[in-house]
Amino acid sequence: MAIDTDVIRHLSEAQVSVELQTEDMTLNIGPQHPSTHGVLRLVAQIDGERAHDVQPVIGYMHRGYEKLSEVRTYPQITTIVNRIDWVSGYANEIPFIVAAEKLMELEVPPRAQYIRLVLTEMARISSHLIFMASYPLELGAATPLFFALRERERVLDLLESVTGGRFHPNFNRIGGVKPVAGAGSTQKKVGQDLPVDFLPETMDAMDRVSKVCDELEDLVAGNEIILARTRGVGVFPIEVAASYGLSGPNLRASGAAFDLRKIENYLPYDDFEFNVITGTNGDCWDRWHCRLQEIRESAKIIQQAIDGIPSGDLQAKVPKVIKVPAGETYVRAENPKGEMGYYLVSDGKDGPYRLKIRSASFSNLSILPWALEGVLVPDIIAIMGSLDFVLGDVDR
Amino acid sequence: MSSSPSETDAAVENETQAQSHPLQGYAGAVAEAVGGTAGIQFDTIKIKIPNDTWVDAHITARDEFGLVHFSWLSAIDWSNEVEVGDALSDEVEERLELLTTVGDISEGRRVTFSTDLDHATPVIPTLIDVYAGANWHEREAHEMFGIDFLGHPNLAHLYLPDGFLGHPLRKSFPLLTREVKPWPGKVDVEAMPEKATAEEPSTENPEA
Repeated sequence: MAIDTDVIRHLSEAQVSVELQTEDMTLNIGPQHPSTHGVLRLVAQIDGERAHDVQPVIGYMHRGYEKLSEVRTYPQITTIVNRIDWVSGYANEIPFIVAAEKLMELEVPPRAQYIRLVLTEMARISSHLIFMASYPLELGAATPLFFALRERERVLDLLESVTGGRFHPNFNRIGGVKPVAGAGSTQKKVGQDLPVDFLPETMDAMDRVSKVCDELEDLVAGNEIILARTRGVGVFPIEVAASYGLSGPNLRASGAAFDLRKIENYLPYDDFEFNVITGTNGDCWDRWHCRLQEIRESAKIIQQAIDGIPSGDLQAKVPKVIKVPAGETYVRAENPKGEMGYYLVSDGKDGPYRLKIRSASFSNLSILPWALEGVLVPDIIAIMGSLDFVLGDVDR
Repeated sequence: MSSSPSETDAAVENETQAQSHPLQGYAGAVAEAVGGTAGIQFDTIKIKIPNDTWVDAHITARDEFGLVHFSWLSAIDWSNEVEVGDALSDEVEERLELLTTVGDISEGRRVTFSTDLDHATPVIPTLIDVYAGANWHEREAHEMFGIDFLGHPNLAHLYLPDGFLGHPLRKSFPLLTREVKPWPGKVDVEAMPEKATAEEPSTENPEA
């Protein structure tokens, strides 16, 4: 045709010699995105396939619980702390109740402590199973969801049969646990404090939970795509993770054997044999694998606790109007998400003067700007999902 | 508001426990190294430090005592006049008490540091260079208590909308929903039914 080949050559040379100008694109992720477990917005600058300067925008779920606690009495506060991390509502109650009991110097009956421990570990299993369901889904594998949620439903049913609530049990009372509705005074009717079949059914459910862990391991650990997307992705060195205040499986995956169940004495964990699961590389894969193994350990703890559950009262003797003596204390506990703690300042009244809520997801999420610097765009979701946060636990 | 030098030698005020608290030796050692006073309540070690050594104390804690895990930072508003909740029983010196808790990740030890800030103009250097995790906690304390962290790169609001006025966790900040609609929770507990009927015999409503 009529095009001069010389002109074409000239043009192509001209294009090559011009330096390519790339412009950063701002990518807005959320606030409504399935991988954010609540309402989280990320504002990322995208340069080609890489993200940099990622800024999480939080606060959509802020409910002001620390302020609300200042106008409530101690028994009323358990209802609101339930709603901090709604995936494991039961586990949120424990450190608050223990902080109040510590200042009151109350001795909680052993049976109540064992029931608390069993239910806390069940909350951990149900929280970790949600992660087992959602994390592969975020990476494109839908099948594990059905396996994980099937068992989670069973665990939640058992939790509900004792407490009356699937998500917000509100079952703890200062000095013990609530008598089951309709059981009357527990002093008179010992043995009616738990539903009749609860203990054997839980034993059975824990066997099945351990079995589903094997199935999940087969499904996910044998999936090459998931391995390729998680191994070596989002590596947190232990010093960085600690300085950002990461805790729970996120910190243990980096190699720290930091488990508050072994360190603090808020529940009788010393009575049981269980391992602290740690990872080696601190990547997304290790964070997934740590949680999977923790489910097995929790199932083991529950079975041991049911074997050795003592009989006795559910409640220590407490006054009708609960007033906590003046003092300050910090009580932290191993929540499914990590370190959950309450700094309680009491002035001897029926409500706290100040209640600082230390939630695990807030610190866990704060590593995101560091962790997402320079990663590939699809890895944003892989890294974010591996942190296993809940926005209610971030914003409080 | 800083403690006088005479108080800073490792005097451990053991507030509630017997003299030989198992944590006493450790608390005394940390307090001596950072130049503060230690108090132990139950198993919480609280070390009060002057606010001009705030950053140095954290560097010492991190490097010499292995307290590498940044747990949290927050504040307490000690006020004599409150808009929400109950006022304190005794008069206190009005101040903002800034608290951090740091721990180690092998032994599981933890220490809470505390310093007093001026109520009207609370200013303190940032801890970001010591603990990266202090970033968001300081933003939260800035927005909730109005504490200025010198050297912090971005003290933008975390939770509240831009342009929100006031610092909600200060005791002088009213809880507006309670102003608009009284809540029969803690604020005014209704009399128990038996008591009400005992005081007023059922003459008022004979047909009932």
